[in-house]
Amino acid sequence: MAVVPKIILTIGFFSIFHAALSAVQHRSYLRINELQFTRLPTDIIVQTLISLVIIMYGVLNVAGDFKVIKASAGLDNKSWETFRNITSFYTFSHRGRSIAVDYES
Amino acid sequence: MSAKSKQVTSVAYSESAIRNNLSIVEYCRTSMAALSGCTAGILGLTSLYGALFFVCATITVWLMFLYKAGFSNWNKYFISRKSLLTSGFYGQLFTYILCWTFIYGMVHVY
Amino acid sequence: MATDLIVDTQIRFWVFLPIVVITFLVGIIRHYVSILLSSQKKVETQQFEDSQIILRARLLRENGKYIPKTAFLTRRHAFNKEEDGYLTQKRPAASQSMMTDPSMMTDMVKDNLTNVLPMVIVGGWINWMFSGFITTKVPFPLTLRFKSMLQRGIELSHLDASWVSSASWYFLNVFGLKSIYSLVLGENNVFNILAADQLEQMHEQMSGAAMAMPQDPKVAFKAEWEALEIIDHHWSLDGIEMKLLGEEEKTLSD
Repeated sequence: MAVVPKIILTIGFFSIFHAALSAVQHRSYLRINELQFTRLPTDIIVQTLISLVIIMYGVLNVAGDFKVIKASAGLDNKSWETFRNITSFYTFSHRGRSIAVDYES
Repeated sequence: MSAKSKQVTSVAYSESAIRNNLSIVEYCRTSMAALSGCTAGILGLTSLYGALFFVCATITVWLMFLYKAGFSNWNKYFISRKSLLTSGFYGQLFTYILCWTFIYGMVHVY
Repeated sequence: MATDLIVDTQIRFWVFLPIVVITFLVGIIRHYVSILLSSQKKVETQQFEDSQIILRARLLRENGKYIPKTAFLTRRHAFNKEEDGYLTQKRPAASQSMMTDPSMMTDMVKDNLTNVLPMVIVGGWINWMFSGFITTKVPFPLTLRFKSMLQRGIELSHLDASWVSSASWYFLNVFGLKSIYSLVLGENNVFNILAADQLEQMHEQMSGAAMAMPQDPKVAFKAEWEALEIIDHHWSLDGIEMKLLGEEEKTLSD
């Protein structure tokens, strides 16, 4: 998880919070002046939508990467020789070492 | 599945990778539902507009998933593109409505 | 919007918001208390064995196409043969009563302690503390049928149905915050477990974890037995040697 998406996410949250505060203020302004509410000012709408998109992007990046679902995903670019290299079947200290000629303790 | 068809060979899927992807998708979609609910509340959408907004948000998230996976090779990561769009729809709807109501109440009612 | 009710702004900060915060925090506390109280379940050897058998049968069912037919049939025979296959073996009826088992009792008590009790206490407290407020308005029109649901504690017949009373707002929160919890607390919180109670068994098997089986393995065995019986063996590695040598067209055409 990189830091950049988190920063993006934080910015988005602040932005949407600010938009909400602006909307509240607009509402109370309308109420004090006894005006009818028709719609929010355009800048608040735009800010809200943009911050939503920003947060979406941030969340998508914070959530992590997808994994390839094919079972053979990691095996595609390996050669036959690497396949035969099976670590579980390594033998250390084979009993035959006692009769090996060039074995040094 | 059948051996007769030339191209179609059964593909072995890695179970854990599928689960990992689905949990990421679930995470994103839940947070998206909550956030788009908040947005709808701030915008003061009512009745049908809110529902429309939810549908739009869902589709946007879906497109973003496809973008993240890459439009041409999404099937490297998901078995079905459609289930990516539709799975868990009602749970998200509930989250959306709750957040919508909450923020709408906070912003527009008082 | 026609009947625009003006609600006191103080309600927002002293009723509406506190209810959300309280519900949320109580949920978090419930999560941690249930972690604190949960005892490590002791798994009987028998149960463990059973769950492993089920897992193995499932593996065979799913990946049987990668082994030759004879191998598949042998394995299936081991699971499904008439008298004493793994899935068909006779079990002495070892079903102990749930009530006699003391650990079962404490589990149930703990369950109630973490689930029902907070719900009742907090719900009652909120009902008492914040009773009779109109808290919010749902942003969509509702029919009168919802009035009793959303306006608990307010008996005003002329109020529009989309207004929500404080008690109902609490209940909406209790039910609606579940997915938020799974966002905050991670996937395996107590709420998800509760919600997926009926799906639990399926989920366990899907996650491949060797969890303790439910009390009666017979049902699971029977289901697995059936699934194994009806499965058809298609060997998917047909002509794999030729394919490896890059001659798949030739082999597949004949």
